[in-house]
Amino acid sequence: MKLDLRGVSVTLDGHPIVHEADLRVDDGEFVALVGPNGCGKSTLLRSIYRALRPAAGLITVDGDDVHRLPARQAARRTAVLAQESPADLDFTVAEIVSMGRTPYKADAATDEELCARALERVGLTGAIERIFATLSGGEKQRVLLARALAQQTRLLLLDEPTSHLDIRHQLEILHLVRELGIATLAVLHDLNQAAAFCDRLYVMDAGHIVAGGPPDQVLTPDLICQVYGVRAVHRPQLVFERLKGE
Amino acid sequence: MTTTTRQSPVQTGLVPKKRRASGFPLLIAALAAAVVASTWLAVSIGAVHVALPQAWGIVADRLLPGFLTDGTPRTWTPVQEQIVWEFRLPRALLALLVGAGLAVVGAVLQALVRNPLADPFLLGISSGASFGAVLVLVLGASALGGLSLSAAAFAGSLLSLALVYTLAQRSGRLSPSRLVLAGVALAYLFQAAYSFVLQLAQSGRAAQQVLFWLMGSLGGARWHMLPLPAVVLAAGVTYLLLQHRPLNALAAGEETAVSLGVNVHRFRLTLFVLTSLLVGVLVATSGAIAFVGLIVPHAARLLVGADHRRVLPVSALLGAVFLQLVDIAARTVNAPQELALSIVTALFGVPFFLWLLRRRSVDRAVSVT
Repeated sequence: MKLDLRGVSVTLDGHPIVHEADLRVDDGEFVALVGPNGCGKSTLLRSIYRALRPAAGLITVDGDDVHRLPARQAARRTAVLAQESPADLDFTVAEIVSMGRTPYKADAATDEELCARALERVGLTGAIERIFATLSGGEKQRVLLARALAQQTRLLLLDEPTSHLDIRHQLEILHLVRELGIATLAVLHDLNQAAAFCDRLYVMDAGHIVAGGPPDQVLTPDLICQVYGVRAVHRPQLVFERLKGE
Repeated sequence: MTTTTRQSPVQTGLVPKKRRASGFPLLIAALAAAVVASTWLAVSIGAVHVALPQAWGIVADRLLPGFLTDGTPRTWTPVQEQIVWEFRLPRALLALLVGAGLAVVGAVLQALVRNPLADPFLLGISSGASFGAVLVLVLGASALGGLSLSAAAFAGSLLSLALVYTLAQRSGRLSPSRLVLAGVALAYLFQAAYSFVLQLAQSGRAAQQVLFWLMGSLGGARWHMLPLPAVVLAAGVTYLLLQHRPLNALAAGEETAVSLGVNVHRFRLTLFVLTSLLVGVLVATSGAIAFVGLIVPHAARLLVGADHRRVLPVSALLGAVFLQLVDIAARTVNAPQELALSIVTALFGVPFFLWLLRRRSVDRAVSVT
């Protein structure tokens, strides 16, 4: 068991945003968290990486309460790809990726090697000295993923990692994450993509987790209608896949 | 993942030709040499001319008595010695300290609020410090319970930072844009407050002196003023250099820093206290000098990139040299009248800054690692 949430409630400015959420991500699992805008997905995610402290409930990673762990210990267990871009201070790709080593004792040789390997993993070795701000959206996400890899955690949290990306780069980043084999919890918007990539998914609505399980069991037309207020229909349609060898 | 069939934008892009690993130590050495050279020049230049070798001799003679006097005859007059040792050297050293300190504070604030426009002025810290200092200057220390100039300036800068910090807080998160807005508003408020105190002040002459001092001046520098800023600066820079990784993480974003294991609340509070302490101490010695904290960190980043392990030392040295040259100009351009330092920093600094902005896309002079 990697990540376990029991009865987690989160309030923001006195407003309850998440109600008694139960959620679990096992070793090597890719779990998606979906739901309409404003349902509390990102808030729940933020409470896992300690940006918010839950009002009630318990969040454990590898059996330890993350909100009781020292900050650096917690950061060695959980890496995040949040929706936040660095200040306009011209960090290079190398500098961004090496930030992943912040929770560890500095060791130039190890750090450099881990960062190089992380960049290789996301296919951006050649970009190591480029300025982060000048990269395309897809490249930026891959650099931030490399930073998360350099952090060497066994749990990865993704907050809408594919937003602002075109279809090819969406698939690219999801495949990359999938192939890592790290326990992953991803907030996703596209239900078809969530269904295609995840092992299990949770559906949130108005702060409650209303369903959880394998996508084909959870994403029923009834549930989608109830949560999103739209009709789900089967129609033959184009399905997008990456080219072989990419 | 390999990109074989299609050429990715990365491969066509600006991949640097070669790394210059030795660039950074060389740059530091060059800047250190510039610090020494500019200080030497500052000690020599002035109404009473002291030739460079003589200026060197006076300082060496004082620092190492007996070391040089044995063989070499003293070629300078007692007046020259007094001017160099009592007035010009402390002034030149103070210029270095203040320049370095303001530049470091600017670099930290820009990372802290994730805004390249941040500097002690924009966030109201300088105005707060000036307010505290003006109260002491106009009303006298006794009226404020014996508070020293430094302490009053520090209290003012801390008060304004605390206000800005509280105002910018929203549901436990610090909004950088609110921070800047609150800072600008408070800067105006404190400016209005000290202008009001000045207007109330009886003596027009004292008010004029204070106004001149508020624009920045090192004219009052004496030896006894140096230890406090020197100690605070040394301690501050040491702490910041040890914390360069959390600083980088903070510049990457509050949530990112949290996820990287930085105790953001505590760290940010420490940085706020440290920067207001530095600004308070510096403003108390030299008044409020504009632009150094804004321009110098940017120049440093253009040279060495955004990593604070490099930005902080380069900013400190660059700021020291810059303010030394500015003070030389302030003393000589319109001699015997002295210009306020903020006038010179703006006249030299702003065109330089605009030029830097124009060539922003150019490769850095020193590459990473």
